[in-house]
Amino acid sequence: MFNRSLLLGIVSGVLAGIAGIVYSRVYYTVNEADFSGVASGIRILSASLFGGILAAMGYVALDRLLKRKGEVVFNLLFTLLSFASLLVPIAYKLPLNLETPELFPGMVIPMHFFPALAWYTLKPLFFRRN
Amino acid sequence: MKKAFTPLLALFFLAGSGFTFLAAAGDWRIADGYSIIFSTEEASGIFKNFKGTIVFDEQHPASSKFDVTIDAASINTGNALQNKHAKSDEWFDAAKYPQIHFVSRNFAGTSAGYQVTGDLEMHGVKKPFTIPFTFKRTATGGLFAGVFIVNRTDFHVGKPGGQVSDQIKLEVSVPVTK
Repeated sequence: MFNRSLLLGIVSGVLAGIAGIVYSRVYYTVNEADFSGVASGIRILSASLFGGILAAMGYVALDRLLKRKGEVVFNLLFTLLSFASLLVPIAYKLPLNLETPELFPGMVIPMHFFPALAWYTLKPLFFRRN
Repeated sequence: MKKAFTPLLALFFLAGSGFTFLAAAGDWRIADGYSIIFSTEEASGIFKNFKGTIVFDEQHPASSKFDVTIDAASINTGNALQNKHAKSDEWFDAAKYPQIHFVSRNFAGTSAGYQVTGDLEMHGVKKPFTIPFTFKRTATGGLFAGVFIVNRTDFHVGKPGGQVSDQIKLEVSVPVTK
């Protein structure tokens, strides 16, 4: 259970990171807003991986604590925490040499949902229904 | 007399051009790389757009003249929400008062450098204001620098007290060229 959850967390974290990097490149092309100094590819990937691994640990913990209801509570918490984490980019103070701070939340906010999205997408591949 | 007219005219323009040169001796152009930094314990940032005319002669500071403006809407705190708030009618009201304007009236030398007294107009309020500054010659021209405090409530910027200190520290650095 733990190993499969951890693997799911890592794979979904990496997938979310790759999606985040691709999205940041598209965002830069469309808006000409370069935030690579703040949200570099490595940072996006490591933050997504961190989110995936944290989700795996939370999933295992809730499954053991709440048994059948664990998954429902986990899904709810994962989504709620993804929403709550939006406060971070909204309140984030960028270096003053960056010209368009108003475009920063638009780039980072969707990325905060990528780990959850990847988790929900890949979970059926790791945990089959009985 | 008729023959002398052309040489006299040439002499007149030559002399005139000399005076033009003398008059422009203290004129400086604001170069790129200037910075207008404001800071309190609670908030900090920069103003990105600064322009104006600077006439300054360190040998004769009394004949100098500053007439400079800052675009209030060019404020950048590094955070989009704070920028929007700073430009709103609660603070600078940049739509109604787009410029922060300073015009000098007199200059004086001090032990640390110079000081200029003039009229500072911000948020629709014009008040006498004194700015201490230094001037250094550089390879490309010169550099004006000054650190001073502005009491924002004197200019009705924001509400007195509140979350941001009334005393705003300003650090100004303006490279200039001829």
